[in-house]
Amino acid sequence: MRVTAEPTVLELDDRPVKRGAWFGDLWAHRDVFVIMSKAGFQSTYKRSSLGIIWAVAVPLLQALVITVVFAKLIQIGSGREFGLFVLSGIGPWSYFSGVLGQGATAIVDGTGMTDKVWFPRALLPGVPLMVNLPPFLITLGVLAVSQPILGGSFGLRMLWFIPAGALLIAFSGALVLALSALHVYFRDVRFLVQAALIVWFYVTPIAYPASRAGTLRPFFDFNPVTGIVGLFRNAVMSGGGENMRALTVSLAATFVLLVVGLEAQRRYDRLFVDLL
Amino acid sequence: MTGDEPAIAVRGVSKRYWKLDEQAMLLKSLLPFWRPKRSEMWALRGINVDVGRGETIGLLGRNGAGKTSLLRLLAGVSQPTEGTVRVVGRIAPLISVGVGFNREMSGRENVYLNGMLLGLNKEEIEARFDDIVAFAEIPDYIDTPVKFYSSGMFTRLGFAIAIHVDPQILLVDEVLAVGDIAFQLKCFDRMRAIQSSGTTIVIVSHSMHAIRLLCPRALVMRRGELVFDGECEEAIAMHHALLSSPDEVHNTGEDIVVMERRLEGPQGLSNSVDPGDALRYTARLRFNKAVKSPQVFFNVLTESGIAAYSCFTPIGKEWRDVAAGDEVNVAVDFRCSLVGGTYRMGLLITDTKGVDFLMQDSSGMLVYVSPSILGTSGISELEGRIAVDGEERTHDAFLHESLSLLDDADVAD
Repeated sequence: MRVTAEPTVLELDDRPVKRGAWFGDLWAHRDVFVIMSKAGFQSTYKRSSLGIIWAVAVPLLQALVITVVFAKLIQIGSGREFGLFVLSGIGPWSYFSGVLGQGATAIVDGTGMTDKVWFPRALLPGVPLMVNLPPFLITLGVLAVSQPILGGSFGLRMLWFIPAGALLIAFSGALVLALSALHVYFRDVRFLVQAALIVWFYVTPIAYPASRAGTLRPFFDFNPVTGIVGLFRNAVMSGGGENMRALTVSLAATFVLLVVGLEAQRRYDRLFVDLL
Repeated sequence: MTGDEPAIAVRGVSKRYWKLDEQAMLLKSLLPFWRPKRSEMWALRGINVDVGRGETIGLLGRNGAGKTSLLRLLAGVSQPTEGTVRVVGRIAPLISVGVGFNREMSGRENVYLNGMLLGLNKEEIEARFDDIVAFAEIPDYIDTPVKFYSSGMFTRLGFAIAIHVDPQILLVDEVLAVGDIAFQLKCFDRMRAIQSSGTTIVIVSHSMHAIRLLCPRALVMRRGELVFDGECEEAIAMHHALLSSPDEVHNTGEDIVVMERRLEGPQGLSNSVDPGDALRYTARLRFNKAVKSPQVFFNVLTESGIAAYSCFTPIGKEWRDVAAGDEVNVAVDFRCSLVGGTYRMGLLITDTKGVDFLMQDSSGMLVYVSPSILGTSGISELEGRIAVDGEERTHDAFLHESLSLLDDADVAD
């Protein structure tokens, strides 16, 4: 219960709200976050004709097409195991690109809610993290179940899904916190993100392994998503990607973006509305 | 908890906005020589206001005067550039369309979403749910997605949620003029109940009726500054005088310029009059161009621009030529047989035949006519009184009741 005898006091001056108080506000608004996520989930899946099935079918279809095209035409990898390779990359990638596409513009898109009533604006880019979770989890389930068919096997190895998922969510969240703040001022961020996602897909080991990247190799190694995808591979296949350097890049990028993103959200929390 | 601490304390508050001449682009900003072209705009300057616990105040001013900026600071949505804002108590903003309604979600789900945004928890919303639905008059549609709601249902639900939050601070922005008359009266009653329960209320409204009936005290803002803080009737008169002052008026025609305009009633010069008053409108015009036998029209328009009255000099009749540089004084004596409301009064100068418009004082002078009794609308004050089976059913009794309620609130302070 948040109802107390003590009256709530709002005190504002020209400085940003103090860190402790801001994180306290975030925590106090956890119910709001949950219900906003429900609302987001509903408008994304519930009322569209195929709903969540569609959200799962798209990445699966994508994985199938890539597997067939790259395996047969470009002669990369072979058969089933390559299917496992692609699917374990597409799953996290779909989540990441879904979160980025919705989250980077979330503060501007939420204008209708923000100009009359206050809640920490950081909740808005956080909502896509939740909304994109169900189809992602189902895709992971499909991946786990289809493992034996694709030549893998069940095992304790699958526990890698847990740190892999945590890092994926943390990195996606850190990036949209920073980008959504930036987008309030620079409105071309919306288009830059869309363009970046197209390029990003091909410098991440999803459709082909980093070893086949040739001169693009440095982009693979210093790409924070490479390490995350590598962790997911570890969960389903051996020798998937124990690339410590890529993982270090992922962790460092997540940490830096999280600090920058949270600080930007705190500092400009009550100034965003002036630019909307 | 000290009893005399104000519910709202605004100290030396200024608010600056940056107006960008072009939308900032990240790609461009990476260029070394690129600087955003921006100009500053002060929406608020040096505002000091205290609002006591349980007090109701009105906020007046034309568009762009800073009312919404101030309300945003009180709601905690924005922060001041200078000065401090302190608001004690749970704040609920009351706005025309529900806060953050999700169109895909049902009315029920939106009640929860809204209630939580306004600071209630799940149990508190559950406890209020039936009252909210009953007040909004939508029990049959509560599980329908709100995208199928009519705008009236939308607004009623938004209003119902906000007033059931039991806020200590209620911020009202232009919502009292929503829905049909019956719903408006219901909202009014509810506002009074909230008022008497000790809630602090700040009302922004262009409806002078609402301000007059609910707010003993009102503030007038002009270009970001607080120019008046005091008794409501005075504030309304001041507001209308400001709206009509020449420096706020753009004259379209330059051939003839309005140098001065005034309205004189039984209480002297004022922009706030009573129905039935004998009024005298005077204007001093300067002709920068010679005109042969100009004709003068005196027009009264309602707030929404509908012609309420017009009188004019004999069209087609030659009578006098005005030379360039001449000043002409026009006076119109008339009886104010208008129903309560805000009206625009102004002159139109035409050629002799009344065909070519030489000068139209379109923004004119804004005049507030106090409603003599409640429950009237239209244009003309016909002083009708309704009786049913011999029992008089006018709003007089209602008005007295509400005024005594306001008096009680004063005493409670």
